Amino acid sequence: MTTAQYGAITVEPFGDSAVMVTIPHADQAIRRAATVAFRDRFLAHRPHGVLDVVSGLESLLIEFDPLRTALQHVEYAARLVARWAPSPSSTTDGGRAVRTFAIPVVFDHDSGPDLASVAGELGLAPAEVVEAIAESTFTVALLGAAMAPMMDGLKVPGPVRRRAEPRTDVAPGAVMIAGTNAIIQPFPGPTGWRVVGRTPHTIVDISRPDPAAFGTGDIVRFVPVTRDEAEALKAGFPLPTGEGA
Amino acid sequence: MKTVALEITGTGWITTFQDLGRRDTERRGVPTGGAADQHSATVANLLVGNARSATLIENLGGELALVPDEDVLVAVTGAPARVTVAGGPVEGWSPLVVPAGHEVRVRGDMNRGARVYLAVNGRMTSRTLLGSAAPDARMGFGQNLAPGSRVLLETGFGGFGRSLFEPPLFRLPVPVPRFDDGPWVIDVVASHGIHAVPGIREMVEESAYVVTPRSNHVGLRLDGPVLHPDTDAEIVSHGVPIGALQIPHADELIVLGRYRSLTAGYPIVGVAARASLPMLGQAGPGRELRFRWIDRESSLRRFARRAAEVRALGHAAAEAFGALGFKEPLSHTK
Repeated sequence: MTTAQYGAITVEPFGDSAVMVTIPHADQAIRRAATVAFRDRFLAHRPHGVLDVVSGLESLLIEFDPLRTALQHVEYAARLVARWAPSPSSTTDGGRAVRTFAIPVVFDHDSGPDLASVAGELGLAPAEVVEAIAESTFTVALLGAAMAPMMDGLKVPGPVRRRAEPRTDVAPGAVMIAGTNAIIQPFPGPTGWRVVGRTPHTIVDISRPDPAAFGTGDIVRFVPVTRDEAEALKAGFPLPTGEGA
Repeated sequence: MKTVALEITGTGWITTFQDLGRRDTERRGVPTGGAADQHSATVANLLVGNARSATLIENLGGELALVPDEDVLVAVTGAPARVTVAGGPVEGWSPLVVPAGHEVRVRGDMNRGARVYLAVNGRMTSRTLLGSAAPDARMGFGQNLAPGSRVLLETGFGGFGRSLFEPPLFRLPVPVPRFDDGPWVIDVVASHGIHAVPGIREMVEESAYVVTPRSNHVGLRLDGPVLHPDTDAEIVSHGVPIGALQIPHADELIVLGRYRSLTAGYPIVGVAARASLPMLGQAGPGRELRFRWIDRESSLRRFARRAAEVRALGHAAAEAFGALGFKEPLSHTK
């Protein structure tokens, strides 16, 4: 887990029962890493009356029950946590150990319709983009809409742009990239991310008590497979290859 | 305890299981969701002696109807509605007995409010997702009820030995909201985005906004004048509270609902006061809304007052049911 160095945080009221925490820093990478570290610390030391948090890439929305606490208490607690709480190293926000996953992905034209255009923008061949993705080690930074795992760690020559026109119906299992991030589509739906491949795994299964395969802090690697290999896997809900980063 | 079957004999445009929503799931990308009008859902459950968060039925549009195979204790809340039992009119916002084999029908007045809630004393059996029966369409968890569905209910209710046509069962202090015919006034607490759009404060305060049919559980889309920020500065996606007033690129105002996700980076000029959220959950297409800026302290005072009214109802209902020999709470919900 990143132990980002940061000083002051900014706490802004947002409506009558939430605050937004941001971490001012000139370097985007540090802002983002520090936001993840702050969220983990805050959840590990959650103050009375805090109902939930919503992770943004560079912010954390803290929602509280205004009958059980007050904005001033939440702000004070956030500043204390930012300053004093030790980083919950090598555990995730639930306190469990970080897990490691190897996720098979088909990277062909049908599964990854944006692969060629991404390669063109980066000045690479499509096979080189696949290679770069396969050589990247991803860390789940947050669970986005419908528990989609949003990961940091894409190592490519430059940030990948989002699509100007979002796709309206992307299949579940689609592996997508933007910026230096990757995400897996859990359910059919729209997205502005660039679709580069598809995993046969079901990464969110609502029939399970805990539907999400991944948690924040987990480590993910993508393993290129052929379409036939993917079918032969009969992949269901993915299981970790190991524990401990 | 016994098991009662509720046979669903009629449904509206959207009829689902519902509750107050998920707890502590937003940090994992699942919106809290739950009843759009949390006040009505809470009161419906309290009126039948349930825990506030018990599973109940939410109905939007059309007519909801069901027939129990044993006597059950029911309460209907939400938008003004015509409620009948075996064809005879009965009161909403009050506990009522529906005898075995008799049909209860609920037709909300869509011109006055979008949703009605029907709670039944006991524990409705339903699938759950992350601890809640509330639907989440995005995750494929529809929770829809259709005519012919049978809802099983575990209940300890054994009847009061009363006839249907006697006066109301109890005199309870029920906080019934006003569902005015005219424009509804929504209180809004300004947020930092208001500075990015000069003149928006005055415009929002002085203009009328009308809910369009493009609205859904993610947000109300309103027709009415808006202004856009001068700069094109990109706002990084971030979490937003329920009730956030967002100005997208198009000329419309969006009020985000309980199923919102991260914003796509549009300016948020304010957030509806907590005490106004139930009315937003009742605002259907065609409803005219007016906005009134309010400071945070006043907003919280209003909310605390409303919460105290609901608590007082909870206590009074518990006493009334206790005097009748009910165990309290009547149902064992989470």
